[in-house]
Amino acid sequence: MSDQLPALIIVAPLLGAFLTPIIGWWNRHLSHPWVLMVLTIPLYAAYSSLFKVIKNGPFGYNLGGWAPPWGIEYRIDYLSAMMLVLITTIGFLAAINAKSAGNTEFKGKEAQFYTLFLLQITGFLGIVITGDLFNVFVFLEISSLSGYGLIAHGEEGAPMATFNYIIIGTIGASFYLLGVGYLYMATGSLNIADLATLLPALYHSKMVLVGFAFFTTGVAIKMGLFPLHIWMPDAYTTAPNSVSTLIAPLMTKVAAYLLIRILFTLFKPDFALSVVPIATILGWLAVAAIVVGGVKALAQTDIKRMVTYIMVAEVGYIVMGISVMNRAGLTGAILHIINDACMLLCLFLVIGAISFKGHGREIYHFQNLNKKMPLTMAAFVIVALSMCGIPPACGFFSKWYLIMGTIVAKQWVFTATLLASSLINAVLFFRIIEKAYLAPPEDVAAGLDHTEAVIITRDKVPLTMIVPILISAAIILILGPLSGKIIETVIQHAVPAIF
Amino acid sequence: MRNWFKLISMAAVIITGALLIYGTHDMPAWGDPDSPANSHVSPRYITEATKKTATPNIVSAVLADYRSYDTLGESAVIFTASISCFFLLRRIRNKEDHND
Amino acid sequence: MTEYILAKYNYWIYVVLMMIGLYAMMGKRNLVKKLIGMNIFQTSIILLFVSTGVKKGGATVPILMHAGHEHGAQLIQVSDYLNPLPHVLMLTAIVVSIATTGVALATLILIYKRYHTLEEDEILAIRRESRAYKTPRILNPTD
Repeated sequence: MSDQLPALIIVAPLLGAFLTPIIGWWNRHLSHPWVLMVLTIPLYAAYSSLFKVIKNGPFGYNLGGWAPPWGIEYRIDYLSAMMLVLITTIGFLAAINAKSAGNTEFKGKEAQFYTLFLLQITGFLGIVITGDLFNVFVFLEISSLSGYGLIAHGEEGAPMATFNYIIIGTIGASFYLLGVGYLYMATGSLNIADLATLLPALYHSKMVLVGFAFFTTGVAIKMGLFPLHIWMPDAYTTAPNSVSTLIAPLMTKVAAYLLIRILFTLFKPDFALSVVPIATILGWLAVAAIVVGGVKALAQTDIKRMVTYIMVAEVGYIVMGISVMNRAGLTGAILHIINDACMLLCLFLVIGAISFKGHGREIYHFQNLNKKMPLTMAAFVIVALSMCGIPPACGFFSKWYLIMGTIVAKQWVFTATLLASSLINAVLFFRIIEKAYLAPPEDVAAGLDHTEAVIITRDKVPLTMIVPILISAAIILILGPLSGKIIETVIQHAVPAIF
Repeated sequence: MRNWFKLISMAAVIITGALLIYGTHDMPAWGDPDSPANSHVSPRYITEATKKTATPNIVSAVLADYRSYDTLGESAVIFTASISCFFLLRRIRNKEDHND
Repeated sequence: MTEYILAKYNYWIYVVLMMIGLYAMMGKRNLVKKLIGMNIFQTSIILLFVSTGVKKGGATVPILMHAGHEHGAQLIQVSDYLNPLPHVLMLTAIVVSIATTGVALATLILIYKRYHTLEEDEILAIRRESRAYKTPRILNPTD
């Protein structure tokens, strides 16, 4: 039974997605509990895979029993097991949250919504778990297509934003496919492990260089790295709240995972160190991403849009950690994948709850919000502390490693950018916190008692929204002190031994 | 503004095309039976597939057996697209709730 | 030189097709034209892949002719049959491209219902009029 666990990670949500329309057609109120039930299976399988990897080291799973270069295999190592746990956890929390928000945003269409929701998670899991390049493309398209459908259902500008996303996203996926084609022509193989042994002899082949260029460009588009981020703020701002809660934290992280895979598993690290100047290019793009993301975020008054620009900067952090090419930097990048996913999940959950209660997303709408939604705003403060890098929260630890990485690499501009970005984040969040906590109360004028207001609104935020918010805020606080343990058991094995 | 924008896209397209053509320089000649693509993984499909899967059509054997997981993903893609279209367009056709 | 061109010209044709598609996706202002460009782009990649499976010198489609016989296995010459793998991959890629086109058309229907036009410039003008909510243009470097 436990040998088949890796297969369950994909098969359970996929079969669950196939059955969701039937269940929803029978009784649409059952689709939410059904999705939660289905998602517990990959959640369990992902955690046990992670423990198996920690105990016995990386392992593979041959689908259909065909040996790897001919058939398709799953390859579960430290990095992919960690990503599986991250995706299933965040997917599960987003699924809990989807009940109240989703049921109002998609009234009468819950069955289709939950089907796409499950397919989205399946796509992410499939990209992470597989050891075959072409299979990555197939699952990339599953996650993209379900994302297009979900995002297009959003507010006013959503279809137009989605169409732009489809065009740019298809360019990204096609570039990835072109990269696969060029590598296939050079080696004749599609399996990542097989290619990793075949490629070192061909590092100076023009075919391989071009294939690599298209791989990284395609992945950078999916990740929203600086000059290719233009689709991202629009798509994630206009997306329905229950959808951006799922897609925004994970899509960029899965693409960052792919970038790490391409740079350090498919190609050996010495390819990036000595053959192509990819590290320098990525590093300066990351600086640009952090600066542009921060400045554009400062210019926004809509908090959801502001967060999407913060995402642009956060992608810059991860890429910067990768680009410095040393142990501390890469450790920071991988740790930041986890931390940033949790922080963005919490932020989008908070935004979802605020919108669900009918409050606007503009900053002036936050006036005295702490009295109306005390728990939600407390979670928001925790995320804000984490984003600025204040110690007990997890954001501090990944930023610490990132800054260490840039210092080891003697890239002082990168160090300065990271420090400045923390300052920008502090400004960004404290202007909202100030509005929420320190602005003169307006309900005194309205003749309302404070405690009364608190009680009324606390009852009104549905349990399915407040529970994921509190859990994600708790995760942010717990991940910080735990990060030493995470690095020791998982991340240090995921960093290539050459560093 | 508009011309400038078109110029930028033109430049991006030309860079992409030039890069792709640069990559073809090292490519095996078209139709070379000994190119890596034709000699590393695929010969085993041709010699073995019929024996192992009892199908004379090797493409079907690879599609539905060796790489059947890709085909599962492919059907999931179609399913995703159909549900997406249904999800997006349904309200426009019919506002009332079918489910009870 | 002629030999070099003969060995590579089909790849170059696909690259030119790809460039046409890519330009239509980025440079055209009509949304349907962008979608058509996307299809051209994807088709050219499919052609590129399929052409890697070609073997000159009398190779035929990968369907075995004497599969029924007991000793058929010994007769199989690898050079007699085309490489089946690119065909398999491209069957999947065709499906993916159709699925993407379908979803894109669905969003186009939504856009048309809302703005009654499929010209990007007109849509942007309508949105600028209706509210101060602005969208960056696709691949606009000033953004």
